[in-house]
Amino acid sequence: MAGPAASDKGDRPDLLTAAIFVGFGALGLWQTRVLEGGTLAQMGPGFLPRVVCVLLIVLGLVIGFAALRRDAEPIEPIKLRPVIIITLSIVAFAYAATHLGFVIASLLLVIAGSLADPGGKWRTTLLLAAGLTAFGAIVFVYGLGVQVPLWPV
Amino acid sequence: MNTRFALPLAAAISLAATTAALADWPTDRPIEMIVAYAPGGGTDIMLRTLAPYLEADLGTQIPVMNRPGASGEIAYTALAQAKPDGYTISSLNTPGFLTMRIDRKLRFDPDDICPIARIVEDPGMFVVQAASEFNSLADLVAYAKDNPGAVSIGTTGVGTDEHLAMLQLEQSAGVDLTAVPFGGANEAKTALLGGHVTAIGLNVGEFASAEPGQIKGLAQFAGERSILAPELPTATEQGFDVLMSSERGLAAPCAVPEDLRAKLSDAVDRALANPEFQEKARQQGLALSYQSGADWSAAMPERLARYEEIFKLIKENQ
Amino acid sequence: MNFVDLLMLGFSEAMTPANLGFCLLGALLGTLIGVLPGIGPTATIAVLLPITFFLPPLAGIIMLAGIYYGAQYGGSTTAILVNLPGEASAVVTTLDGYQMARQGRAGAALAVAALGSFFAGTVATFAIAVAGPTLSSFALNFGPAEYVALMVFGLLAATILASGPVLKAIGMILIGLLLGMVGTDQATGAERLTFGAVELFDGIDFIVIAIGLFGFSEIISNLERSGSEGVTVAPLTRLWPTREDFRNSWAAVLRGTGLGTLLGLLPGGGATLASFSAYSLEKKVSRHPEKFGTGVVEGVAAPEAANNAAAQSSFIPLLTLGIPSNNMMAMMLSAFMIHGITPGPSVLTNQPEIFWGLVASMWIGNLLLVVINLPMIGLWVRLLTVPYRLLYPAILLFCCIGVYSMNNRIFDVILAAGFGLLGYVFRKAKCEPGPLLLGFVLGPLLEANLRRTLLITQGDPSIFIERPISLVMLIATVVLLGLMIFPAFRKTREEAFQEEEA
Repeated sequence: MAGPAASDKGDRPDLLTAAIFVGFGALGLWQTRVLEGGTLAQMGPGFLPRVVCVLLIVLGLVIGFAALRRDAEPIEPIKLRPVIIITLSIVAFAYAATHLGFVIASLLLVIAGSLADPGGKWRTTLLLAAGLTAFGAIVFVYGLGVQVPLWPV
Repeated sequence: MNTRFALPLAAAISLAATTAALADWPTDRPIEMIVAYAPGGGTDIMLRTLAPYLEADLGTQIPVMNRPGASGEIAYTALAQAKPDGYTISSLNTPGFLTMRIDRKLRFDPDDICPIARIVEDPGMFVVQAASEFNSLADLVAYAKDNPGAVSIGTTGVGTDEHLAMLQLEQSAGVDLTAVPFGGANEAKTALLGGHVTAIGLNVGEFASAEPGQIKGLAQFAGERSILAPELPTATEQGFDVLMSSERGLAAPCAVPEDLRAKLSDAVDRALANPEFQEKARQQGLALSYQSGADWSAAMPERLARYEEIFKLIKENQ
Repeated sequence: MNFVDLLMLGFSEAMTPANLGFCLLGALLGTLIGVLPGIGPTATIAVLLPITFFLPPLAGIIMLAGIYYGAQYGGSTTAILVNLPGEASAVVTTLDGYQMARQGRAGAALAVAALGSFFAGTVATFAIAVAGPTLSSFALNFGPAEYVALMVFGLLAATILASGPVLKAIGMILIGLLLGMVGTDQATGAERLTFGAVELFDGIDFIVIAIGLFGFSEIISNLERSGSEGVTVAPLTRLWPTREDFRNSWAAVLRGTGLGTLLGLLPGGGATLASFSAYSLEKKVSRHPEKFGTGVVEGVAAPEAANNAAAQSSFIPLLTLGIPSNNMMAMMLSAFMIHGITPGPSVLTNQPEIFWGLVASMWIGNLLLVVINLPMIGLWVRLLTVPYRLLYPAILLFCCIGVYSMNNRIFDVILAAGFGLLGYVFRKAKCEPGPLLLGFVLGPLLEANLRRTLLITQGDPSIFIERPISLVMLIATVVLLGLMIFPAFRKTREEAFQEEEA
C-alpha cells in the first residue's frame, strides 16, 4: 500500500479518520460538560457519554500517530459539484414540501438534483421529474397516506 | 394495489362526514387534529377511533396529523402557532402538559393553550407478579421499611406518572424505594414477569386489558375506584396519600372564539355518548371520563401545584 | 386436540378465500413499503390499524402480519440493488449483496435472499407452533444483566463485520453509541448532545442516519467518481444462483435460521442483532473470511435467513405472554386489542383458531412471498439496467419522502442531508458505516440495561458473573477480544487456513 511519493510520510485517509474520531470525542465532551456523572449505583446522564468520548479520542490519537509513521497515501480526489448540488436540493425539498406542497417540492428536487450530473438533457429531466412526481403523489400521498400537502397552502 | 385499497376507504370516510351539516364554521374545510405522539400509541389510536364520530357530528373532515416528540412539546408548539380559527386542534395529555413547564424552558406559552374536552382519565397503579408475596401496598411498604432500597419499582422514566406516584408513596410512607426506568410499560412488564424488578407502575387501563393470571394489582392511585377496576382499593383507602392519574383529551389555542371551543367540547361529549364508540373504547381499555374544557381547565392549577411539590422532592433527593 | 389437529384448524382458518386474500394483500403491501426506502412497516401499520376495525379479527391480524414480514422481504431488495438498507436488520445485507449486484449477480443474491428467508420463515413458524410457550420463558430469563452481556458481545462481534482495520471499526461503533445517546436521557430526563434543538429531544431516528450515510452519500460518491455515465454494473451473467451458490449458502442459511429464531425472541433489537451476528458468525467460520464484503453469497444468505427467522419468532413473546418485543409487535398488540383479544396463554386455549390461524397464515404468506418474488427478480434486475442518470433522482426522491414522512418536519430531512455529508467524509477516510449503525441501535439498550442492572443491585457489579447466561456471554466476549488483541495469534490462524486451502 505504498503511496505515489514513497518518501512522504502520512496516510491521509487514516489521518482524516483520526481527526473525525477526535473531533466527535471532543464535541461530545463539550456537549456533556454540564451533565452529572453520578456514581456506579446511580449512574448520571453524563457517565457513559464521557466514557465513550474519551475512548474515541484515545482511539483517534492511536490511529493518527500510526498513520503519521506510514507511507503517504492521498485521499481520493474531491469533486464539489455533486456534493453541493445534491445536498442543497435535499434541503430545498424539505422547505418546499412544508410550504409549497409536494408537487413543487418533488419537481424541484428531481430537476435540481439532476444538475449534479453534467451530462443530462433538459427534455429527459423534465419528463422524469413529471413522471416521478405523479408516481410519488399517487403512491405516497394518496396510497400510503404520507401527511404532506400536495399544493401550496 | 395498495392505492386501490386505501382510496375507497378514504372516500367512505369523507362520505360519512358530509352527512350532517351544521353552521358554516366547521364545514367549509377540514379541521386538522394534531396528535403529539407517534402513530400506534394509545393516544393516537384513541383519537383515530374518535375522529370519525366527531366528523359525523360536526359534518366536516378531521384528518389526523402526527407531530410526535419531546413528550408533546413539538405538537403544543405547533398548536400555539396555528391560526386561531378553530381549524387546528391537538391532543392534550397530563401530567406531561403540566410537568413540562416545571423544569424546562418551553417554546410555547402553556397559557396559550386551552383544553376543549377531557376524554379519558386513567389512574396509575402498582402491580406485582401474580405469585408475589405482596398482596397490598402495606405489605410492600413493610418490606421496604426493613430493606431500604431493595424494593425496585419499574417506571417509564423520570417525571412520568409511575415515577411521580412512587415518590409520593416514599414521602407518604417514609420508605426508600429504587426507581428503575424502562422504555415503556411493555418493557417494564417483561422485567416484572421475569422477576427482575419487584413491582411496576401501570395505568389501570393497561391492567384491565392485560392477560389475567399473570399480574395482580396492589393499589390504584385514583380519588375514587376506576370503573375499569372496581375491586382494586385505592392508595388513599389503604392509608397512603398517593394520587396520580393520566388524562387525555383535546385542546385548541385560547385565541379561538369561546363559542367554537364550546361547540367542539359538546361534539366530543356527544361522540363519547355514542354506544358504538363506547364499545370500541371498552375494547381498547379506555377509561372514558368526559369533562368539559372549562371544568378541566379549572382542575389544572391544583394538579400543577401537586406536581411542582413532587418535583421539588426530586431536586432535594439528588 | 393434539398438535396436528390444531395445525389443521389453523390451515382451514387461514385458507378461507377472504383470509387468503388479506394475507396476499398484506404481503404485497409489505413488499412495496419494504422496497420503498424510508417508509417503514411501523408507520404503515399505524395508518392501516383503524381500517382493521371493519375486518373480522383474524383477517385484520393476518393482513398486518403480512405487512410486517413482507417488509422484511422487500427491504433486502433495495439493500441489494441500490445499497440502501430500509431498516436496521438489512444493513448487513448491503455488504455483500450490493457487491454481488455490481458484479452482475443481483439475480443470484435476490434469489438466495428470498429462498433463504422462506426456509427460515418456515422453520421459525414451526418453532412458534411447536415450542412457542417453552421458548418464551427463555425471553423472560433475560434480565438487565443478561442484556448488558449480550450487547457487549454483540458490539464486539460487530467489529468482525468491517473488512477494514479493527480499530476503525471500533471507532465507528463508538460514534454510533454516541449518536444513540442523543436526546432525552430516559433515566433522568436530562437532555444530552442535543445542541439545544427541540427536534433532537427524542433522539435521532434510525432512518435519518441510514438514508444519510447509505442513500445520500452513495449517490454523491457515485456521481463524483465519474458522473452518471460511470456507474455501471457488470452485465448480468445469469439470473439464477449457480449450483455452487447453493452449495455455499445452505449451511449459512441453517446457522442464520437458528440464530435468528433464538435472538428474535428477545425484546429490543432482536432482528437487527440476529442479522449482524449471523453475518459475523459466517465470517468467523468461513474458510475465506477475507472475501466477505466483496460479494460472497453466504454474506447474503445468513443475515437474510436470520432476520426473517427473527421477524417470525418475535411473535412468540407476543402470542404466548402478551408481551410485544419491538415497536412492530406493540402495534400488533394494539391490533389484537382493537378486536377485544388480549394475546396470551388464554387465547391459546379459548380462541385457538386465532393463534393457529395466524401461525398457518404466516407460513402461507411466506410461501406467497417466494412465489411473488421469484418472478419479480427478473424485473428488479432489469431496474439495474436503467441508466443511473434516471435512477438516482428517483432514489433521491424516495429517500426524501421517506425521511420527511416520519415526523412531517423539515428538520429530519436536513439532518439526513447532514449525515449524507458525514457519510461522504467517512468514505474519504475509508471508514465503513455498518458498525456505526449497530452501535447506534444497540447503544441505548446497552446503557439503559447497564444502569438498570446497577440500580437494582445498588451498584454491585458482581451480578454479571453470578448469573449464568451473562457469565457465558462475557467469557465469550473476553475470548473474542483476546483473538483480536493478539494479532500474532490471528496471523497464525490465517496462515493455517491458507495452508489448509493450498
